[in-house]
Amino acid sequence: MSREALQESLSAIMDNEADELELRRVLSASDDAQLRSTWARYQVARAVIHKDLLVPKLDIAAAVSKALADEASPVAAPVAAVAGRWRGLGRLAVAASVTLAVLAGVRLYNQDEVMGTQLAQNNVQPTLPMPQVQGAALLAGYTESSEPVSAQQSKAVSPSQLNWHEQRLPGYLRQHAQQAAMSTSDGVLPYARAASLENR
Amino acid sequence: MRGLSYLLMLGGVLALPVHATDAQDWLGRLAEAQQQQSFHGTFVYERNGSFSTHTIWHQTSGDAEVRERLLQLDGPVQEVLRVNGRTECVSGGLADQVAGGQNWPARTLDAKQLSAWYDLRVIGESRVAGREAVVLAVLPRDQHRYGFELHLDRETGLPLKSLLLNEKGQLLERFQFSSIDMTAPSEADLKPGSTCQPVRFVESKSIDPKAWHSEWLPPGFDLNSAVERHSVVSSEPVACLMYGDGLARFSVFLEPLHGATVEDARTQLGPTVAVSKRVTTTSGDVMVTVIGEIPLGTAERVALSMRGRDMQAAQ
Repeated sequence: MSREALQESLSAIMDNEADELELRRVLSASDDAQLRSTWARYQVARAVIHKDLLVPKLDIAAAVSKALADEASPVAAPVAAVAGRWRGLGRLAVAASVTLAVLAGVRLYNQDEVMGTQLAQNNVQPTLPMPQVQGAALLAGYTESSEPVSAQQSKAVSPSQLNWHEQRLPGYLRQHAQQAAMSTSDGVLPYARAASLENR
Repeated sequence: MRGLSYLLMLGGVLALPVHATDAQDWLGRLAEAQQQQSFHGTFVYERNGSFSTHTIWHQTSGDAEVRERLLQLDGPVQEVLRVNGRTECVSGGLADQVAGGQNWPARTLDAKQLSAWYDLRVIGESRVAGREAVVLAVLPRDQHRYGFELHLDRETGLPLKSLLLNEKGQLLERFQFSSIDMTAPSEADLKPGSTCQPVRFVESKSIDPKAWHSEWLPPGFDLNSAVERHSVVSSEPVACLMYGDGLARFSVFLEPLHGATVEDARTQLGPTVAVSKRVTTTSGDVMVTVIGEIPLGTAERVALSMRGRDMQAAQ
């Protein structure tokens, strides 16, 4: 594609007159440094024409990219791989102020698996800020603000404290579900709940 | 003409309570159907983070014996055989946390008792597993419990579908038949698999229900059982109290901390919420954990309201 055609498309976007095809063309070429500088020049020109306030050198795209890259890094950290399913609960234990509407993806475990998780966590720095649960689908009402994360970071928590809930909640949950299943004659729903806790 | 309009007005007035009674009747039919209707079918159970499929064989016979076998069809084999509500055998880890030394009362659905805490309404019709169904809304009268949407088989009254909804109307769990046959299962189908073992009860003892009490309970919830067992993690004695309102249930676990510093915690797993709060007693701090199919706020308030007997003495 010729540079002229690309610049024409660019100016069409500026005027809000670009069609779908043109928009795609420009977006796919958006890594091109020359195109980006042309875009910046167009913006300056428009700002001058409209007497808008313009902060030169303010590259929001770069800032966003950087923020995204920074945010992604804790997920990619080896901790995420090591951390067992109950890391989710542990983090909740730390950031008790976070109201989770629904926490999904925390799967259950049996006793020896919990022990394994615990062992794995002994060599893990527990204060790393991490997303609440990896790959979890969270219902609406759950908001992940930066506030609780920073609270998490600032609070030094010993591994034993993280583990306290991780060690006990699985057992408590199962005890509750199984006793519920035992104490009803119409126990299909409690049975299904108890069974779903056993599935991993 | 005037007589007719009075008649219509009167009809309108009468229709309202009749509607509620109708819903109660349907709940009554549901409870009855489980005792009297043989069937077998497959259903799905879905909650946030888990989806599973199961088969159920349910046989009722003339001498009032109800035999029921449940088998999970995907993932690990989970199996239960129940006779008259009593568990004969289980497979897998499905019952390794059940406390013995306790006569678990087999509770049945009491439509009249439920209507004190839930608004029962017939809200429409639907079709589930190829069958005509009546949709029943079981709406909480306060914010301390969740609501259900029940789809009952029009012909037999059996629940074909059950949805648990939170206060925002969001779906927390789904139970739904994909196919159902209203005929008696064969003897062979009711025979449990070789992995189905008699329930081994976890060693536990009944405790004085007065050792712990809650200063506040959501209205309608009663203490169903109180046991104490040793924690697998710390071998500490953990008291476990179970409460229910006839439909919803929650358990309260009380574990001494012995000076350990542990933060409060809360989480939700599908329909089940877990809230842990530290409570100070004269004999040291205790971690109170409330687990159940109740809203987070209710669980939190219960956790904060738990009091030990020695605390009363101290006050």
